[in-house]
Amino acid sequence: MQAATMATKRKGSINELPKPSAGTKRPKPDASSDDDDDDLEEEAPDEEEQGALTRVMDKFSFAGARARPNIPTGDSVSRLFKRDELSFLKMKPDHESRPMWINPRNGKIILESFSPLAPAAQDFLTAIAEPLSRPTYLHEYRITPHSLYAAVSVGLDPKDIVAVLDRFSKIPIPNEIVQFINGCTGSYGKVKLVLKHNRYFLESSDMKMLQILLKNPVIGEQRVITDGGDEDGITRESAPKMGALVIPGTKIAAGVAQGQQITQQNGVDGAEQREGETAEELFASVTALKEGEDDDDDEDAEAVHSFEVHAEGVEKVQKECLTLGYPLLEEYDFRNDQRNANLDMDLRPQAQIRHYQEKSLSKMFGNGRAKSGIIVLPCGAGKTLVGITAACTIKKSVVVLCTSSMSVVQWRNEFLKWSTINPDQIAVFTSENKERFRGDAGIIVSTYSMVTNSRNRSHDSQKMMDFLTGREWGLLLLDEVHVVPANIFRRVIHSIATHAKLGLTATLLREDDKIQDLNFLIGPKLYEANWMELSEQGHIARVQCAEVWCPMTTEFYQEYLKETPRKRALFYIMNPRKFQACQFLIDYHEKRGDKIIVFSDNVFALAAYARKLNKPYIYGGTPQQERLKILQNFQRNELINTVFLSKIGDTSLDLPEATCLIQVSSHYGSRRQEAQRLGRILRAKRRNDEGFNAFFYSLVSKDTAEMYYSSKRQAFLVDQGYAFKVITHLQGIENLPGLAYDTPAERRELLQSVLLENAQNADVNSIERETDGGFFDRTRGDWRGKNGAIVKRNAARLSGLSGGDTMAYVEQNASANKKIKVAPGMQNKFMKKLKSDAVKKARG
Amino acid sequence: MAANTQSMRGFEHLEGLPEAVFKRLYQQPATALAIFRRMLPNLGKTFVMAMLFNPDPIPISTLEAWVHPTKNSLKEEAFAKLRQLHLVNERQGTFALDATFKVELKKALTGGGPPGCFGLPCDTDDKKKVDVAFLDKYATEQWESILHFMVGNEVPSSRRPSEGVVRLLLHGKLMEKARSSSETMITQLGFSFLLQEVNAQVWTLLLLYLDMAEQLRMDPVDILHFLFLLGSLELGQDYDMKSLTPTQKGMLEDLRDYGIVYQRKSSSRRFYPTRLATALTSEVRALNSPAATMKNAISQSDDNGFLIVETNYRMYAYTNSPLQIAVLNLFARLISRFPNLVTARITRESIRLAISKGITAEQIIDYMTANAHPQLRKNTPILPPTVVDQIRLWQIEGERMKATHGYLFKEFTSNSEFNAVCKYANDIGVLVWVDKSKGMLFVSKHEQIADYIRKRAQSNK
Repeated sequence: MQAATMATKRKGSINELPKPSAGTKRPKPDASSDDDDDDLEEEAPDEEEQGALTRVMDKFSFAGARARPNIPTGDSVSRLFKRDELSFLKMKPDHESRPMWINPRNGKIILESFSPLAPAAQDFLTAIAEPLSRPTYLHEYRITPHSLYAAVSVGLDPKDIVAVLDRFSKIPIPNEIVQFINGCTGSYGKVKLVLKHNRYFLESSDMKMLQILLKNPVIGEQRVITDGGDEDGITRESAPKMGALVIPGTKIAAGVAQGQQITQQNGVDGAEQREGETAEELFASVTALKEGEDDDDDEDAEAVHSFEVHAEGVEKVQKECLTLGYPLLEEYDFRNDQRNANLDMDLRPQAQIRHYQEKSLSKMFGNGRAKSGIIVLPCGAGKTLVGITAACTIKKSVVVLCTSSMSVVQWRNEFLKWSTINPDQIAVFTSENKERFRGDAGIIVSTYSMVTNSRNRSHDSQKMMDFLTGREWGLLLLDEVHVVPANIFRRVIHSIATHAKLGLTATLLREDDKIQDLNFLIGPKLYEANWMELSEQGHIARVQCAEVWCPMTTEFYQEYLKETPRKRALFYIMNPRKFQACQFLIDYHEKRGDKIIVFSDNVFALAAYARKLNKPYIYGGTPQQERLKILQNFQRNELINTVFLSKIGDTSLDLPEATCLIQVSSHYGSRRQEAQRLGRILRAKRRNDEGFNAFFYSLVSKDTAEMYYSSKRQAFLVDQGYAFKVITHLQGIENLPGLAYDTPAERRELLQSVLLENAQNADVNSIERETDGGFFDRTRGDWRGKNGAIVKRNAARLSGLSGGDTMAYVEQNASANKKIKVAPGMQNKFMKKLKSDAVKKARG
Repeated sequence: MAANTQSMRGFEHLEGLPEAVFKRLYQQPATALAIFRRMLPNLGKTFVMAMLFNPDPIPISTLEAWVHPTKNSLKEEAFAKLRQLHLVNERQGTFALDATFKVELKKALTGGGPPGCFGLPCDTDDKKKVDVAFLDKYATEQWESILHFMVGNEVPSSRRPSEGVVRLLLHGKLMEKARSSSETMITQLGFSFLLQEVNAQVWTLLLLYLDMAEQLRMDPVDILHFLFLLGSLELGQDYDMKSLTPTQKGMLEDLRDYGIVYQRKSSSRRFYPTRLATALTSEVRALNSPAATMKNAISQSDDNGFLIVETNYRMYAYTNSPLQIAVLNLFARLISRFPNLVTARITRESIRLAISKGITAEQIIDYMTANAHPQLRKNTPILPPTVVDQIRLWQIEGERMKATHGYLFKEFTSNSEFNAVCKYANDIGVLVWVDKSKGMLFVSKHEQIADYIRKRAQSNK
């Protein structure tokens, strides 16, 4: 597979020293950070959740604040704030030296990031609250039941949460908040879900807790009656013991030093740290101390009680427990797991993990056990290395699931690159490859669709699946967790018995709010990085964002207005002015020496743009070989500086050469897509050059629905601190030689072809849907079979493109893809090398 | 310009007065001059001047002949204004100026008239003469104390507006009594008042005064005479009260409260008009621009900014001042309020609303820049450029479409009638839109059109 060439991600570069956890981490907003526009109407912060979650959170809503009568001390402007009039709160006398406010009504926290205490406060807030927005000066967070769940699961104690909050707050912590924190955390972390011997157990040190759960009809039904145990079916065991754990790669000095570090975190030195006066130390000690106490608790409680539940019922039980207000913690005591064979692998010596990666991993392994959860890092910030390090820490069999067969290859290569794993022990399970690893333990890399596909399996893949489902796994690594719908996860989680689950993503966002499901399907969000901070530190590229407003031409606007909203899209995408802007920007940036990616969701537009401009393009229907060829050329060939990509390029495609991105059409108001696309240029190779900027352009047709979508899409990045500059006029665009659609006749012709396309494809959106979901594993037979309609649409369009529907320009603008194919000297690696050497020589 | 149009609005209010009142208004040369200066379009002034020294009525056709046929709309506008103000008597196709007006305007222009008709300067020197700077300071302080009072700011009791002012504000519904307490609260109307240019504010308040005075059975003509008189006085000159009517003497006390005139003691016989007064009928801006006035009024904090504007359009204001918050509320959506912090968000909608209230994007940007927090001041430019650009763009966005209030005429009996009305509406300059195929037209004013249609109908019979 040639995909390896694309997999040259810059992961944890060797020459970077891991910084000590300086406590400067800032998180990024989460899916639930609906923008503030809803704030005034919002009943309570929990309304954006659904179903079971809503119920449990209603239990913990800020009811006290809601019941508060109108404040009598209000003045002339009080009424403007409705419930958020909080001027009655008393400030602490020394409030100026403290960095944050807390809103008792909805748990929102506002933090002054320019305060000297801010770094420590940020660190702390990341652990206990959801970051909402994080621009330059004032950051907003919100305490939610989910965030507290995560806080408890990394070992924070409610008392300490309140104490530290109080230390940072300008106002005394309101009672509502204290009650809320206690209410949420009181019941958290009491019950654990443990997988032993391929069977699931609910474990708690509190017998009564289990009895309460057993009395619940839903949970009781799922119980497996075993021989052992007392009359309730509850068995007693001694509690697992802790010990020093080493996360590989966290320090240059191996062994002892690492051990010490972890011991510190485990609280041996925590008490001393607490003596420290700075807030940073205070926070560190709070975390550490709690972890220490955890250990003590477990040791004191000589026995834990447990009962078994059916594997199929696990999710039901989890959900029910959440409803009851006792969310299950999943922990894996991998060091004491004798039953599953160890996997002999370690990080290679040259692998250095960065400080934020270390921090995220320390959240996962905080108390010596592996917790299940989600780690959120921006694209290009080294998610893969975090996954690999986690696998190397647990040292058990691992299943890695990713979104495409391309990523499968990438993951395997990354494993080989960064860890000492024996290549025989890492196997790939795709439609082409169905091998197993050798020995007792190993790694399987596969795609979500391979694992969840339920019908028409070939004999081989059925055997593979039996292998996957027939044994216990130490770790399930879930790449790009945000793209996969919950029902796929359910199937994955039911079919593969795994001790710990680690989800990796850049954007924990879904427009459909299903992201909350992940909280109980995988676990709490363990860590969330701050984009701006990583960018300032040079881990990801600095990006200039711009929104280019392209006025609609009169003819296009007339047709646009005539159409039904569903069919309008093509008019604003094919707007000739937008086309010109695109042409101008490509020309401008190619001259600067940038490598450009142009994104268009709409495949008709993608092909039309690419052909008109004579650039190669890739969409769902492009054969694998052709894709690889184009991408390689894009990376190596100096003549190919622009590539057009459809949705398939949104995720998992690593093109570190790209430095400029132009977005022509996109998926409505998807904040995730915007962030993912930005991610394509964040790992730009040249990012550490002095004064280097990557460019992100979003072309928007003025006065159309696109404007609305555009502002929606940007919401996430804007809250990350990115600023979108609006460009209303591109200087010098009218002087560009060979500007397309400059004459009314050309524009009319374009309009005709758009009208024709609209008529043919009654629903233009269907084109967009074609490659939805980030799956572009077109090589899999069953995928094609499931979606026969895709094939049909392709056929229609190809006939159109070949002149069948009188699109005159097709003849003149043959696809640049083809040209690449026949380009001399481009056939194989050897010839390519010869050529590039020649070029180098010529340059001298 | 904005100031001009806003104070013009004040004058338009006068147009609704009955004919008898006008006749009496014209009895004073100062009033005649003020009306001539401020209420007539330029062409109207030309017509008046043509008739002023002409003893005979002038045929309308002669006046019409002076106007180029393409400028018929201007001519019709001028005629309409003259009729509306009852300045002309129309007889058998001729125009003659109203006799009283003619006499008094002549007096005003030629300097005739009784002594004191343009105010009676004191014949003795004031022992404690005050200068213009003092008067300006006095006027600004008085006026701003009213603004502060309106938004509920703490004002020193010495500066607290008098009962009369409070009554006036309540009467004009700029403020209202809170249901539960005796506290007065600013109303929505009051907020838009706050936003106005000072000259417009003065007129708004004076017209409210006029309105209230009528209810108190004071003579509106007397009051208007005095107001127009004030407009023709000279800044820095002291005037004697003795030429004033009893009503006008009573008014002085109120005007002193507003800062329009200055008297050292209420028993004093002399009074000084301030800039607020002398600007009443002129186009000169009184005091400062609204932004500047507001700024002065609002902030003791020129060098101590309180606003943080973020690139994500959130705004954080370190303030607890109701006036500041009230001003923020004019262009941003307030979200929450802590004892020393207000969070808000600049949205397209909030800017659009602000612009619809007459605030400009530049004013908003200036305001935010002027009040930027020290943290923001470390940057150049101070405000995030993307936000500034966006606010300007939102304004431009709104400028593409203009709403015109008016009236739709449809269902004409015949095509010829429709065409005739169209032509007439076009001639008098009220035609806004016409659709021949649907037989509909849209005009900005309907009275004359209705008259015209009626006349046509009568003549056709």
